[in-house]
Amino acid sequence: MRNKLRPYLTAFRVRALLETQYRGAALGGLITQAFFGLVYAYLYTAFFNGSDPAAQKATVTYVWLQQMFFRALFMSDGEMNNQIMTGSLAYVLCRPVDQHLYWISRNLAAQFVGVAMRAAPMLLLQLVVPQEVRMALPASPLAFAQFALSLLLGVFCVSQIHAIGLAFTMKTLDHRGLSSMLSLLLMTFSGNVVPLTLFPEGLQRLIRYQPFAQVLDAPIRMYQSGQPMDEWLLNLAVQLCWIAALWALGRWLWARQLRHVTIQGG
Amino acid sequence: MRYIYHAMKLNLKSIAQYRASFLMQNIAQFVMVGGEFLAVVVLMTRFTALGQWRAEEIMFFWGVMQLTFALCECLGRGISTFAGYVGSGDFDTILLRPRPLMQQVIGHRLDPRRLGGMIVGGGAIALSCVRLGITWTADKLVLTLLAAAGGFFLILGLFLIEATVSFFSVRSIEMVNVLTYGGRSTCQYPVDVYPRPLRILFTWVAPFALSMHLPISHVLGKPLFDVPMAVVWLAPLAGPLFFLLMTRVWYIGVKHYRSTGT
Repeated sequence: MRNKLRPYLTAFRVRALLETQYRGAALGGLITQAFFGLVYAYLYTAFFNGSDPAAQKATVTYVWLQQMFFRALFMSDGEMNNQIMTGSLAYVLCRPVDQHLYWISRNLAAQFVGVAMRAAPMLLLQLVVPQEVRMALPASPLAFAQFALSLLLGVFCVSQIHAIGLAFTMKTLDHRGLSSMLSLLLMTFSGNVVPLTLFPEGLQRLIRYQPFAQVLDAPIRMYQSGQPMDEWLLNLAVQLCWIAALWALGRWLWARQLRHVTIQGG
Repeated sequence: MRYIYHAMKLNLKSIAQYRASFLMQNIAQFVMVGGEFLAVVVLMTRFTALGQWRAEEIMFFWGVMQLTFALCECLGRGISTFAGYVGSGDFDTILLRPRPLMQQVIGHRLDPRRLGGMIVGGGAIALSCVRLGITWTADKLVLTLLAAAGGFFLILGLFLIEATVSFFSVRSIEMVNVLTYGGRSTCQYPVDVYPRPLRILFTWVAPFALSMHLPISHVLGKPLFDVPMAVVWLAPLAGPLFFLLMTRVWYIGVKHYRSTGT
C-alpha cells in the first residue's frame, strides 16, 4: 500500500516545496485581497447602516474569510493548461502512474501551501484593521474545529472541480473560455461575489447545498455559528458526498479523454 | 487619430474572420456581466437602500460603470494587455515603426467581445431610468455622456499605470490590478458610502468621484458634493487630465525600456 502511494506522496511534497517559492505572487495577492476585503467590509457596513449589528458583523466576517482563503477558489493550473495547448502533455502521459490521482495530489499540494501562505498574513492584518470592520473570532473553539475540518474538505472539493475542467480542456485544447466560465461559477456560487447568506431566505436551502458552496461557504457558516451535532453531521455528509461524486465524475472523464487524447504540435 | 481609426478597422476585419468564436465570446461576456448584475439585484432586494441611494439609483451608477469599463476594455485593449507585449518582445516591433507610440499601442488590439458587457450596462441604465421616471433634458443627457467619457479616460489612465509598471517589473501585474478592477468594483457604488480614506483615494488620487459620481448625482437630482454647477460641468475633465498625466509617465517609462530580446 505504502509503496503504491509513494509516487503520489512524492509529487505532493515536491509540488508543495515548489509552491513555497512563489512568495512574490503571494505578496501581490495579499495586497489585492486586503484591498477587496476592506472595501467589501465597508460596503456591507454601509448597506446594513447599523440596522442589525449582529448580521452586520457576521457579513463583515464572511467577506474577510472569503478574501483570506481566496486562493482556494483560484483555479488555474497554468502548467497543465500549457501542456495541453503545446502538446507536452505527451511527456506527462509517459509516467507510469494513475494520471488523475497524480494530478490531484500535485494540485492539492499547490492549493494547501498557496492558501496557507496567503491566509497567514491576512490574519495578521486583522490586528491593524479598524475595529468596526474587523472580523469576529470564531463562535467557539468547537466552531473553529468544525470550520478547519470543513475548509480542508473544501480544498479537496475545488481540486475535483478543477480536474473536471481540465478533462474538458483536453477535448477542446483551449482552456480560456471554459476556465473563465468555471471560475465565474465558483466565485459566484461559493459566495465570493455576494455572501450566500444574503440571498433570499427561500433560496437558502437550495444554494447552500450545491457543490460550489462546499468550498468556502460551508466552512464559513460553521466558523460563525458552531453547529449542533446533527446539523454539523449533515453538512459534513453533504461535503463528503459532493467530493466523492465529483471525484468519480473526474476520474471517468479523465479515463475517457486520455484514451483518445489529442496531442497538439509536431 | 486617423491612424487609430485605420488600425481599428484592420482589427475588426481580422476578428470578422472568426464569427462563431466571436459570437460565443460575446455570449460568455453577456452571461458574466449579467451574473454581476444579478448579484447587485440580490443585494438591493435584501437591503432596498444604500446610504441615501435607492435601489434604482444604485443601478444607474452600476450601469454607467459597467458600460464605461466594457468600452474601455474594448477600445483600450492595446493598453490593458500592454504588459504582455513587453514580456513577449512585441513592443520592439512597435518601437520600430515610424508612427506615434501611444496611438500604435491603442490601435494594436480591439476587443469587441466586450459588447456583451456593454449591453448589460446599458440595459441596467435603461431599466433604472424607466423605474425612476427620469425626465430627460439636454443637460442631463450631456452630464451622463460627460460622466461616461470622463470615466473612460480615467480607466484608460489606470490601465496605463499597469502598462508603465511593466517596464520595471515583469511580474507585479497582479498587484496593480487593484487600481483597475478594484476601482471598478469599488466605484460602481457612489463614493459617499465609503469612509474618508477611501473617499479621498477615489476623489483625489483616482478621481472616479469627480469624473463619474458627481455628474451622475446631478442627473439623479441628489448632488454629491456641495459645489457650484460650473464645477460639476468641469469635474469630468479630471478623467482626461489623469489620462494625459499617465501618458507622460508612460513615455518616461519607455525611455527605461530594455527589450527582453527575441
